[in-house]
Amino acid sequence: MIDPVPPALIFIIGALIVPFFKGKLKSAYLLFLPVLGFVNLISIPEGNNWIVGFLDYNLVLGRVDRLSLIFGYIFHLISFIAILYSLHVKDDLQHVAGLVYAGSALGVVFAGDFLSFFVFWEMLTVASIFLIWARRTKASLDAGYRYLLVHAAGGLCLLAGIVIHVNQTGSIEFGYMGLNGLASYLIFFGFGLNCAWPVLHSWLTDAYPEATITGTIFLSAFTTKCAVYALARVFPGTEALIWIGAIMTGFPIFYAVIENDLRRVLAYSLVNQVGFMVCGIGIGTHLAINGAVAHAFNDILFKALLFMSMGAVMYRTGKINGTDLGGLYRTMPLTCIFCMVGAASISAFPLFSGFVSKSMVMDAAAGGHMRGIWFLLLFASAGVFHHAGIKIPFFAFFSHDSGMRPKEAPLHMLIAMGIAAFLCIFIGSFPGPLYSLLPYPVNYVPYTAPHVLGQTQLLFFSALAFTLLLLSGIYPGEMRCVNLDADWFYRKGARLFYRVADRSFNWVNSVCDRVFVKGLAGSLGRLSRDLTARIALLILVSFWILRGVSGKKLEMKKTNFYNDILEGTLPVGIGAGLAAVFIILIFVLT
Amino acid sequence: MTEKREEKMELSHEPVPGYRRIFFIAITIGALYLGLILYKTLL
Repeated sequence: MIDPVPPALIFIIGALIVPFFKGKLKSAYLLFLPVLGFVNLISIPEGNNWIVGFLDYNLVLGRVDRLSLIFGYIFHLISFIAILYSLHVKDDLQHVAGLVYAGSALGVVFAGDFLSFFVFWEMLTVASIFLIWARRTKASLDAGYRYLLVHAAGGLCLLAGIVIHVNQTGSIEFGYMGLNGLASYLIFFGFGLNCAWPVLHSWLTDAYPEATITGTIFLSAFTTKCAVYALARVFPGTEALIWIGAIMTGFPIFYAVIENDLRRVLAYSLVNQVGFMVCGIGIGTHLAINGAVAHAFNDILFKALLFMSMGAVMYRTGKINGTDLGGLYRTMPLTCIFCMVGAASISAFPLFSGFVSKSMVMDAAAGGHMRGIWFLLLFASAGVFHHAGIKIPFFAFFSHDSGMRPKEAPLHMLIAMGIAAFLCIFIGSFPGPLYSLLPYPVNYVPYTAPHVLGQTQLLFFSALAFTLLLLSGIYPGEMRCVNLDADWFYRKGARLFYRVADRSFNWVNSVCDRVFVKGLAGSLGRLSRDLTARIALLILVSFWILRGVSGKKLEMKKTNFYNDILEGTLPVGIGAGLAAVFIILIFVLT
Repeated sequence: MTEKREEKMELSHEPVPGYRRIFFIAITIGALYLGLILYKTLL
């Protein structure tokens, strides 16, 4: 039997060989990689594996425990589904970037030290940018650059935190830290940026909808979930995360409701769902951590399913705005059904996956007597159903008839969506297998009468609110417009910075220019330019006065001589005579 | 053949007569119900 290798390597090295395959062999090879990776993963023993010496430190490329394993499982699973969905893509760049991205995510979750963690973390950013740029539109190019800038800033914060931490402790172990000093705050911020915390989130809603159809499936799965994993590993039970997560669940709802681009609605919904995970990690009890991890597992599946269904619509119609779509259920019934399964799962309908994980976080909040947080999460649950559960399928497949009659999605896309939909229903109906994979022992029963009734009530009243808002004409119309969101702060902030810089630094600059460049340097320049003329005039004027020259004639001679020297038109004889006078003077004086 | 369609700038939702009143009645009842629950919970 072959010895296992670090899970990341199969994807990263495997990605480099992709361009050498063609046709069906390439499709088979692409699908084979996550299967091989999964077989490799289940053969890795628990504990620290592949310990490599580097300088004075030991890098751990395979820290395998229950927390890293569950993320490893779902990353392999979603890679298989995403690759299956993207088999029609002829662009090798997308396949390579997708595989490197998945491999980097595996590298992050199995890293046992901060150095290898950071390397894979940055590879994650680089690979994901190519999934955005691969769409090759101006909007995607611009969004990719903004994404790069934001993540470079976050990466630098993380690196600074790691360097300070290693300097202070002498250890590079990637484990529990808690908030206790500058290093931890910098690392916390670095993770938070990838987690799309409030105000730091606009990179996600800006860039993900601009990525390629298949790229968005990969993007929705890895970056934010790696950040959730990192928070669960390094900052479990950090109280600040409770409020950050709760705010994350609430604010995206308002933006999602007014958003016209349905993939951007899903991007907001992604921020909202990650909020539940962040909140759970902040609460920090075994139930809350289990809930956060279970919800990350489920969110990867149902969010990918929703993005896949919208991707299929976009693939067939070339449109993604609510203003352009509608009535597609007639010709895309299977995609519509899969979309509704995803919508039911994200809304936490009983028998769908979100129901068995989201409620763990909410129960943990209620059990910890956090009334305010619990109410916020409850509001967010209703809001999720409003924008992701109803809005997405309604505006894409029902609503007004757009008149478009596209073909059903290609078979491989339908199979990929079918697998994800099956898993959403299976996990929702039989949560036992998922619970058995969670980091801590699970003693939680989701299917109790109060829970089922309470959640159903919430969802049906949310549906009633949507219906009444729509029929009463209060529901905001879908409009073609750009919603700046928190980008407003960056744009206004940058303009403010420019004005402050203009008025302060440029003022100092102009003063220096006046004093040093035009003043002091100018005087020195003038002096050096006519120094010879002045010295020569000093001698000659005495000589002319001795000869009886005076008044206007003297002034005229001075001016003519001065100009002649400056313009270089002095007769050679006079120049030679002056030189002789200088030499005599030097001889006499010395 | 590419079929040309007019792209809408806005997809507004025209009100159906009578529903605005129903909406406000439902909101009022819901708010009262929530208020009652909160009152009983906090006491």
